[in-house]
Amino acid sequence: MPPSIHPVDLITALRHKHLTPAIVFLTSRRACDEAMETFDHADLVLPPARQEAIAVALERITVQHPSIAEHPLIPIVKRIGIAAHHAGHLPSWKIAIEELMRQGHLDAVFATTTLAAGVDFPARTVVITQSSIRKSRDFTDLTIGEVQQIAGRAGRRGKDHVGFAIVTPSPYIDLTVLTKGLTGQPEAIDSQFTISYPMVLNLLKAHPHEQIQGILAKSFAQFQLNQRAELLEQKLDALHVQMEPFGPRVCTDWITQWHTFDHARRHRHTRHQTHRAESPEISARLPFLTAGRVIGLSRGRGIVLRQYRSKGQKNSMLTVLRSDSAVTECPVTSVKEVYDRTYECAETPAYPWCSTDTFDRLSHHLEELPSRLPVLPILVSTGIDPLPDAIVQSLGDFPCPTCPSRPACHKDFMTASRLRQEQQRHTKSIQALRTSLWHRFQERVEVLQKFGYLTPATQLTIEGDWARLIRIDHSLLITELIRAEAFTGADPSLLAGILASLAHDDDRPGAFPRISPGLSSLLGQVRKLAESLSPYEDPPLLRADVAALVERWVADPSLTWIGLCRLTTMAEGDIYRLLARTLEFLSQVQALKSTHPGLADSASQAITLIRRGVLEELP
Amino acid sequence: MNTDELEQLLVQQPVTLLHRLARGRVHRHFRAGKKRLIELLLQHSSQNRAGLESDLQALIGEQHARSESGSSHIHLPPTIARKKAAPRRAESESAETAVSLSEWLEGIGVPSPQPFVPDPWQTEALSAVRETDVVISVPTGSGKTYVAVEAARRAMEDNRTVIYTSPLKALSNTKYTEFSRIFGPDAVGILTGDRQENGQAPLLIMTTEILRNLLYDAASGEIDVRLDTLGLVILDESQYLADPERGVVWEETIIFCPSQARLLLLSASIGNPQDIADWLTSIRSTVCRLVRHGKRTVPLRAGYLHPNGKLTPLFKTLGIPYGHSSQLHPEAKQLFFEYEEETLPAGRPRR
Repeated sequence: MPPSIHPVDLITALRHKHLTPAIVFLTSRRACDEAMETFDHADLVLPPARQEAIAVALERITVQHPSIAEHPLIPIVKRIGIAAHHAGHLPSWKIAIEELMRQGHLDAVFATTTLAAGVDFPARTVVITQSSIRKSRDFTDLTIGEVQQIAGRAGRRGKDHVGFAIVTPSPYIDLTVLTKGLTGQPEAIDSQFTISYPMVLNLLKAHPHEQIQGILAKSFAQFQLNQRAELLEQKLDALHVQMEPFGPRVCTDWITQWHTFDHARRHRHTRHQTHRAESPEISARLPFLTAGRVIGLSRGRGIVLRQYRSKGQKNSMLTVLRSDSAVTECPVTSVKEVYDRTYECAETPAYPWCSTDTFDRLSHHLEELPSRLPVLPILVSTGIDPLPDAIVQSLGDFPCPTCPSRPACHKDFMTASRLRQEQQRHTKSIQALRTSLWHRFQERVEVLQKFGYLTPATQLTIEGDWARLIRIDHSLLITELIRAEAFTGADPSLLAGILASLAHDDDRPGAFPRISPGLSSLLGQVRKLAESLSPYEDPPLLRADVAALVERWVADPSLTWIGLCRLTTMAEGDIYRLLARTLEFLSQVQALKSTHPGLADSASQAITLIRRGVLEELP
Repeated sequence: MNTDELEQLLVQQPVTLLHRLARGRVHRHFRAGKKRLIELLLQHSSQNRAGLESDLQALIGEQHARSESGSSHIHLPPTIARKKAAPRRAESESAETAVSLSEWLEGIGVPSPQPFVPDPWQTEALSAVRETDVVISVPTGSGKTYVAVEAARRAMEDNRTVIYTSPLKALSNTKYTEFSRIFGPDAVGILTGDRQENGQAPLLIMTTEILRNLLYDAASGEIDVRLDTLGLVILDESQYLADPERGVVWEETIIFCPSQARLLLLSASIGNPQDIADWLTSIRSTVCRLVRHGKRTVPLRAGYLHPNGKLTPLFKTLGIPYGHSSQLHPEAKQLFFEYEEETLPAGRPRR
């Protein structure tokens, strides 16, 4: 049996049961495109009347959005009445598909889950093929809210009596995630309040410093922090009640007193014991047996993957990568030699204790090792000098041994000290919850003062007054670049290129159009500055290829959209989004007309140059 | 045994056995299908042919011993056979209660057009938004847009400015087209990061970031007539409040929203709408009203489609059994069990 249903069979089954129109959610853009390709040779052709209807509808849309006129997917959509819809497509194409769906011309759309959160796009049926979703490089299970968001697309008001959500399995699907998602209550949402540099500048422009704490207190973040603080306060009250019998005794702070006494007493009686019965030679080695170290064993050599202690074993243990990619465990004592060679090793918490890449690389290294390797000289220290115990000597100073309350203290100490610790912990966390936002704000203020956007009296400086208008990601880097006059005299195309590399936060690889020397030196400058600012602001990806792509588009007005797409492997939709985001960044720079006329002028030129072809026609 | 014979023997074995055989021999064997797995095993056999053959014989022997002592399921070890028997019994018990496919498929079709009557929650929300802030949390597709349109219409009749924000530019554009159709193109304007049209219209559509910027500019002394006459702010998709990157913008917008304007928060179903309402009450001059319900306008049914094309209901009940995620339809359960048996690597514990 195939691991998942074939797209053609899926559509046939849905049509047969009258479950169309349907949205089929697939894991990736690629999966959507591949699903479309499977129809190339299937004879699922629509009757001519419907093909005609689609053609007419498409023509009507083309009037508004000429860029779809020659779209390569048009023939297949017309022929089979099925389309793909994902972020790799141009917005105009997506609009066309949405319109076709709304008018009821399409039987099915293959889409990625981004659609679920995006436009208003209902169907009779949704087909779910996954239980996890890719979020920043990693797959995480769908939340209940997300499953319901997806299922929510099923059933059109006024057009359907019922909507259907159909699960069809594919490898790695977890049915319980989906059934829980369909039947459960959506998760509570939490505030994601962060304090950014432009926020601080704008707040301080409008309000005096002493009012800010009150404004921050109005945030949902603080509201939720207060809820947690209130819970802790209730617990604290309960602890107070429990602490009542343990009030002051002969000494006011008897808990601390007893604690010190007890500690001192125990220390006098226990002799210093070596922690483990390991010979000094072995224990001297331990710090060197870290992941990635090459060692010699009785037979052959290996690379250490991890060091651990196991309950049943007297000695520390090692997990070692041996030849033929075998992973073995051995006690530290069986290590014959420690070589002066280590390899980088990305450790993971589970078998095989390092990432797959590392594993392959290490096995490769192991095969390639030269026959002789320098041995690491390890100094063995003999004997540990026992420290003179000051507390032991001063034991005579305690009044406890003769105190009348001694038995009571002895009895209550454990409970009382636990309660008191809990009390202190709660008090601390309540304080942290109440003031954390304010502290974060103050941290930002200090950085802005350091860079001269704020005076020591938290007034905006001249610099701060224009810097507050840059309200985008990486604002500190952008304002610092402007202050360093990095853009002075720069072409609109260079400015657009740099801002594009700042705006682009996607790490999908793209091909490299050739980068101009001017742009590459400027990009080097930006990178240097971004690195120096990294303690205060996360550095951007600064991809040279997207910078070069946007530079080309701005610098060469004769470049067509198709020509631009040929320069890179990025999908059309991604290029469009890149340019749209660059426009947003440029329009923020354009707002600095009064203080930086030259720069603003350059930005507005870049904006005019970017807006052509597909970008002009689209909203 | 020569290579061909070995291949023949491997082909005859169930895939579970092959996975077991591949354990420790083939890296990431659970990713491979049967054909590929056999290829990989044969490749491996060049390294330790004897070991592979003997292990294979041992596994086959074990298999036979088990199937003889076990049940009639030849290819399944007895543990699985026993597990499999259990849902069978359950099926016979629950056969009366579980919904059948034909029942489940019944009622597909287009309802006859009916005059539009607003749902009670819609009228409730509309009357509330005249006096106070309102938070609406209802499932997708329940008709939040109707409330937005009507509320905007009423505010505009009172000569108030209305601002409608959405998280996505695409959504803003759709709404711009939609509202222009309803209120006429002169009454509607749009402001996004790269598009500005009809900026002085009484109904303004914008992304939430733009509204936040307007509010900041107004707070720092720039005069904006639109904000002075602002009567209603509609924040669509307010569940974006929890977006890791952009959620903060919604908070800023709500904190700085002028007190004379009413706030209307439209959100998909979320777990704690009461918290949002309480928060609004605590920072704004009026008591915020929460309108929520969990019932979908168009009822939903869940199904299970097996890779072989067989369709069954997913749950025992016709609709979704809210709060009872384990009420699976016996047939769907059985089919998915078989699916997992075939695709999961052998010996890996089932969840």
